[in-house]
Amino acid sequence: MLDAHVQVQIGELPIDVALTATDGETVAVLGPNGAGKTTLLRTLAGLVALDGGRIALDDTVLDDPARGVYVVPERRSVGVMFQEYLIFPHLSVLENVAFPLRSRGVGRAEARRRSSAWLARVGLADRERAKPADLSGGQRQRVALARALVAEPAMLLLDEPLAALDVGTRTELRRDLRAHLASFAGVRVLVTHDLLDAVALADRLVVLEGGRVAQEGPVAEVTARPRSRYVAELVGTNLLRGDAHDHTVTLASGGTVVTADAADGDVYVAIPPHAVSLHRQRPEGSARNVWRGTVQGADLLGDRVRIHVHGEVSLVAEVTAAAVADLGLHDGVEVWSTVKATELTTYPA
Amino acid sequence: MKRSVLWVATMAIIATVAAVFVPATAGAAKNKATKLSGTITVSAAASLTEAFTKMGSDFQKANPDTTVSFNFAASSALVQQIQGGAPADVFASADGANMQKLVSGGQVTAEPTVFAANALTIVVKPGNPKKIKSLADLANVGTISLCADTVPCGKYAQQALTTAGVTIPAEKITKGADVKSTLAAVTTGDADAAIVYTTDAKAGGSTVQAVKIPAWLNVYAIYPIAPIAASQNAALADAWVKYTVSPAGQKTLQSYGFLAPPLQ
Amino acid sequence: MTRRRGRGAPLVAVFLAFVAVVFFTLPLIGLLGKVEWGSLWANLTSQQAKDAIRLSVECSLWATAISLVFGVPLAYVLARVPFPGKAFVRALVVLPMVLPPVVGGVALLLAFGRTNGLVGPWIYDVFGWQFTFSKSGVVLAETFVAMPFLVITVEAGLRTMDRRYEDAASTLGAGRWTVFRRITVPLIAPSLFAGAALAWARALGEFGATITFAGNIQGRTQTIPLGVYLFLESDQPLAIALSLLLLAVSITVLVLLRDRWFGNVRSA
Repeated sequence: MLDAHVQVQIGELPIDVALTATDGETVAVLGPNGAGKTTLLRTLAGLVALDGGRIALDDTVLDDPARGVYVVPERRSVGVMFQEYLIFPHLSVLENVAFPLRSRGVGRAEARRRSSAWLARVGLADRERAKPADLSGGQRQRVALARALVAEPAMLLLDEPLAALDVGTRTELRRDLRAHLASFAGVRVLVTHDLLDAVALADRLVVLEGGRVAQEGPVAEVTARPRSRYVAELVGTNLLRGDAHDHTVTLASGGTVVTADAADGDVYVAIPPHAVSLHRQRPEGSARNVWRGTVQGADLLGDRVRIHVHGEVSLVAEVTAAAVADLGLHDGVEVWSTVKATELTTYPA
Repeated sequence: MKRSVLWVATMAIIATVAAVFVPATAGAAKNKATKLSGTITVSAAASLTEAFTKMGSDFQKANPDTTVSFNFAASSALVQQIQGGAPADVFASADGANMQKLVSGGQVTAEPTVFAANALTIVVKPGNPKKIKSLADLANVGTISLCADTVPCGKYAQQALTTAGVTIPAEKITKGADVKSTLAAVTTGDADAAIVYTTDAKAGGSTVQAVKIPAWLNVYAIYPIAPIAASQNAALADAWVKYTVSPAGQKTLQSYGFLAPPLQ
Repeated sequence: MTRRRGRGAPLVAVFLAFVAVVFFTLPLIGLLGKVEWGSLWANLTSQQAKDAIRLSVECSLWATAISLVFGVPLAYVLARVPFPGKAFVRALVVLPMVLPPVVGGVALLLAFGRTNGLVGPWIYDVFGWQFTFSKSGVVLAETFVAMPFLVITVEAGLRTMDRRYEDAASTLGAGRWTVFRRITVPLIAPSLFAGAALAWARALGEFGATITFAGNIQGRTQTIPLGVYLFLESDQPLAIALSLLLLAVSITVLVLLRDRWFGNVRSA
């Protein structure tokens, strides 16, 4: 059980984050570069000392500046899987995995035995004597994981565990990693900027922006109801904010949105791009939300196209490539966007 | 007889002109024969450092158009340099053997002149902490500094020790490349004693104390000097050689502790 | 061998480089030309040569070892531990590299000389050690001039190595000494070897400080360079034979160094 309140400042950004996690739970810390995710991880690992706050793991206080407590990294029961893995290049695979055990005084034979067992678990039994330079990215990731877990730590920290891999390997390893994490009994904190990793591997999401928590909660909830532009963009949904009165939300930009659910006060409105329809002329129909705009940019995603529309309500709409051709949706073209009130979600800000 | 004013005036003018021009022309004639100019390099044994430097400055004062540069080192090293083609104009050695090498080699064709002599002495640290009184005592203290075997003062020191029947164990002897660095081992370093020239002891002043070597055991070093045949300024080279045996030069040498040269 | 088209070689640079190469090679050729090959073996096995060689080897190895024992921690502190006045300390460490060796020798005398030194007399009284005119003095002089090379090289290696490996090792449970021993040292191995080799080469060739501080005693302080200096007048073939030996050893070490430790290392 991790109970942490991290207050630290490295460089220009002061970080103030409260983070808890229970055994068996995976918490993903998500955020843009420079949000402080890596620094947060380093304080949990003990590589950086806190300025204020407190970190406690199970019954042990790891860092408490007010009481003058600071446990050095080598004494913490924490396993870390680093970005780029940092497998020691001059040691063999087996020696790498055995390193945490040997460093803690475990005898050579015993260390070998346990390391071999772990390597077998991650499917690298036949590569014990190999040198890291001879391994593929995916194999190195598995070595890093085995090495982080072999000493049976109370907490596992993962820093962008899949970032160093190419897309194909990533999918496969994401699955493997999920399986291995599931069998680890301790607390897991995962740092990533990839939403796919977070969704696939984590139970809870903590979104970090500018050194502070912008949003946190179960994965499904955060992705369904983003509360920041960053998450919205990550999730790929349109996020608007305005003042709600009953079924109408007045946006800061001036436009209005009609919602199916009644609400009052400061709200977010999330509109999935696939729910936005585009027309060359003002349409008639049941859609209560009709806005005028101009096409400014398009992204091709296979057979789908994401069209950026600017207007009183700026949105991203997802349409088929065929539709783009049919309607002649290129830059500068005037379009009308419509969204059914039932297709959007409103929630308090 | 009353001379006319005109006659007196003419005589005065002639006398004045004569007084001005005759000595001038006579002087010019003399200067043409003896006006020295140019630069020479004198390669001299290290023990001559202080004396020659003073003589050089005196010489240059007397002959303002000249420059005398010095190259002081062990005589044996200088011989090697000269035989290797180093451009020296004069060579002053601390022993005859080294001069002979140049004579045999043809670098010196004129007959060398002996201009000074020297003797050896033991030097110790001020206060003589090891109570050294004779050559025999040198075998029983710590480290002794001697000149290297091929350097004149080294040969002389070995001669003196052999004459006195003293053998100093090899591991106690530190060898210096020239007499000045041999001396430095006692003044700056930790050597208990050194055998150097009496002139070096004098030059060392209060940084050393001399322990006399009795005359019957001592070695008489003679210093020959000669111009180098290949010199570019033979006149000036000869002038320097003559200066060393001149009364002025001898006076300076002896003021630094050198002994008068033996009769030729 | 096919010739690629395109720009030619930069002629001016090549010419100047050629001049530099000639500058370095001519003295070596001159030396080789003067060697008396017939009596080479006899010269090198003479008592004076054997004494000088034995002393040179012993003392330079000792100097290198001492440089490693004290120099590596110094490099570590300079590279990793923040403290005030670091620039001054670093300048101090580099000083022997800049100081004329004879001046270094005089400085050592004034510090460790038994009669005039700052601490020399005290050391003699308390421990009975005398450095001047002894082998230990040779080692001291050689260490004085050689250690800076090792410190500078190792410090550079420590600064450029990827420190994240040390972080990783910490998190994996390794204490500071274990991290240093098992991770840092192997990763800076190239600069360690290079620094040690440079220090050793410098110690081997040391002359000015040695002759001034330790004196010139055959069998005790007369290393090869001192011997060469002295024999140059009395026994030139011996001097040249020893010079050739030193040359051959240096070239061998440098050639070995290039291949093994500068080229072939797997980095992070």
